[in-house]
Amino acid sequence: MEYISLFVKSIFVDNMIFAYFLGMCSYLAVSKNVKTANGLGLAVIFVLFCTLPINWALNRFVLQPGALAWLGPKFAEVDLSFLSFIIFIAVIAAFVQLVEMIVEKYLPSLYSSLGIFLPLIAVNCAILGGSLFMQQRDLANLGEAAVYALGSGIGWYLAIVCLAAIREKLSYSNVPAPLKGVGITFITVGLMGMAFMIFMGIQL
Amino acid sequence: MDKKLKETILNPILKGNPITVLILGICSSLAVTVQLKGALVMAISVIAVTGLSSLICSLLRNSIPNRVRIIVQLVVVAMMVILVDQILKAGEGTYAIDKQLSVYIGLIITNCIVMGRIEAFALGNKPIPSLLDGLANGVGYGLILIIVAFFRELFGSGTLFGLRVLPAGYIPNNLVILPPFALILLGCIIWAHRAFDKDLQEK
Amino acid sequence: MNTNSNVYTVVYTALVVVVVAAILSFTAMKLGPLQNANAKAETLRQMMSAAGVKPTDELYATRNQDILRLYAENIEQAYTIGLDGAQNGTLGTDGGRIELVDRLKPQDKAIKEGGQATLPVYVFKGGICVIPVYGVGLWGPVWGYIAFQPDGKTIAGAYFDHESETPGLGAKIKDEAWFREKFAGRQVAFGSEPLFNLSKNAETGGAANAVDAITGATMTSKGLNDALNVWFKAYEKHFTDNAKAEEE
Repeated sequence: MEYISLFVKSIFVDNMIFAYFLGMCSYLAVSKNVKTANGLGLAVIFVLFCTLPINWALNRFVLQPGALAWLGPKFAEVDLSFLSFIIFIAVIAAFVQLVEMIVEKYLPSLYSSLGIFLPLIAVNCAILGGSLFMQQRDLANLGEAAVYALGSGIGWYLAIVCLAAIREKLSYSNVPAPLKGVGITFITVGLMGMAFMIFMGIQL
Repeated sequence: MDKKLKETILNPILKGNPITVLILGICSSLAVTVQLKGALVMAISVIAVTGLSSLICSLLRNSIPNRVRIIVQLVVVAMMVILVDQILKAGEGTYAIDKQLSVYIGLIITNCIVMGRIEAFALGNKPIPSLLDGLANGVGYGLILIIVAFFRELFGSGTLFGLRVLPAGYIPNNLVILPPFALILLGCIIWAHRAFDKDLQEK
Repeated sequence: MNTNSNVYTVVYTALVVVVVAAILSFTAMKLGPLQNANAKAETLRQMMSAAGVKPTDELYATRNQDILRLYAENIEQAYTIGLDGAQNGTLGTDGGRIELVDRLKPQDKAIKEGGQATLPVYVFKGGICVIPVYGVGLWGPVWGYIAFQPDGKTIAGAYFDHESETPGLGAKIKDEAWFREKFAGRQVAFGSEPLFNLSKNAETGGAANAVDAITGATMTSKGLNDALNVWFKAYEKHFTDNAKAEEE
């Protein structure tokens, strides 16, 4: 039950885009049509789902204050949390690089549709943001970390596909010249965010 | 040379503003604009990080092995961000603000402005222009952040820097504090910017 | 020099990592004491806000040095108790040696799972007694400090804080002064169940131990309610024993 609640919360209530603006740069740049948006969204789900549990384990067993206690009582007082930013981003960058190489070598067809998005993802705030929120919110176990990662990824995917669909239609509308392109997109995202706010009162 | 240097400094603030024109670094920019104080600290942190990481990467530009370029850059940026975070936590007046900014300080690492300027400028230029370019982009970013925060704090809480500005009878508009409004406000800023500068309009 | 050879790449990366790690460890060591001092002053501010030593705004405008002095002037004694309610240690209160139990998470675990707990009790001048509460809200830890009148059951004041509750909803437990002010004058029903009731429309019944939850922040309020009840339960024996000792 707790997992379902966490899952729904991370998709709708605390949506990465609408509530925290994470991953905005690629969100705006790659949402011009549904097909590419779909590809990037799936890549984000995949990378989040794989890196967040790794970072959870690193945080739990290496970085947290007192996390090194399993090495022996001497290490119980060690606090490495100041290293967490650098470790998290290193894990993400290395993972993305690795996946890119594997996919390119063994799954060329997948690479041609998804591969171009992978380099974009290493610097996507949603991925690092997921790990930082995981650390801040002190998720209790690996299962929660995985569910949270999946939920956040799906939330991001949903947001980018919705926006891409709207932007495809928007290109036929008569928008004032200075507002064309980015301007109207921002306002659209704002309105979508308001729509998503109805989930805030959700009770599970 | 002087003209070029001037260009390096002025361009990112107006014509090539990282937020409104290049659409970089939106991620961390909006969430911290509920109050001016937080926005100001965030702006200064970003200026410091972009300037110094551009400087360091420019110094290293001839020695970085190409294959691990991105990772080395990320490590340099992450180091700068951790330093900023540690300093904010240690300062007496900034401790509470650091708590309020929470994860967004860490997210400066993935702020596209920082990596973007390193890739596009610092790797091909001498240290001093790189430093200036980094700082100027940080300023361009900070400027927008402060404009957005000004409106959000003024209408969302009726205060500026925590001091009451609007009369006590003003009922704060809660929508302004919530995330969607930041996006709409930014859309309007872009609108105004492009109405003045017709070159920037999209076809 | 060939900057693309394997050896160069590996050596270069290793060098960068070592240099960066050295710089970061050095600053972490240098700045650590300052950061701890800030964290300590923050805890003291929250405690003194609950105890009503000074208004919250004034406490937050006061410098760390003066906060330590203010605490030393106003505190009478501080000690820790175990789960059996008996005192099992003392905490320093001098200006130079102020001791706090400010990592509440391990204590929370000890309360819930049994074990060696050191629960702090801070007694301010005038017999106002401050205890912490700690629990899990919607997204992360929520905690607070509750000040009791000398009778050991009437709440004199409270202060709540959180790590990452939703701004505008759950975050109100900290941001909205009216919420914490509602706690003053309420009574914890030691000896009966529930000890305290923070929930929707709880005030309607007029019970002395009830406070309305914040609208729209169901999970945060539930977490805070659990935190209050779990921690009050852990202190129950201590407070009731104290009250009995007074009567005799």
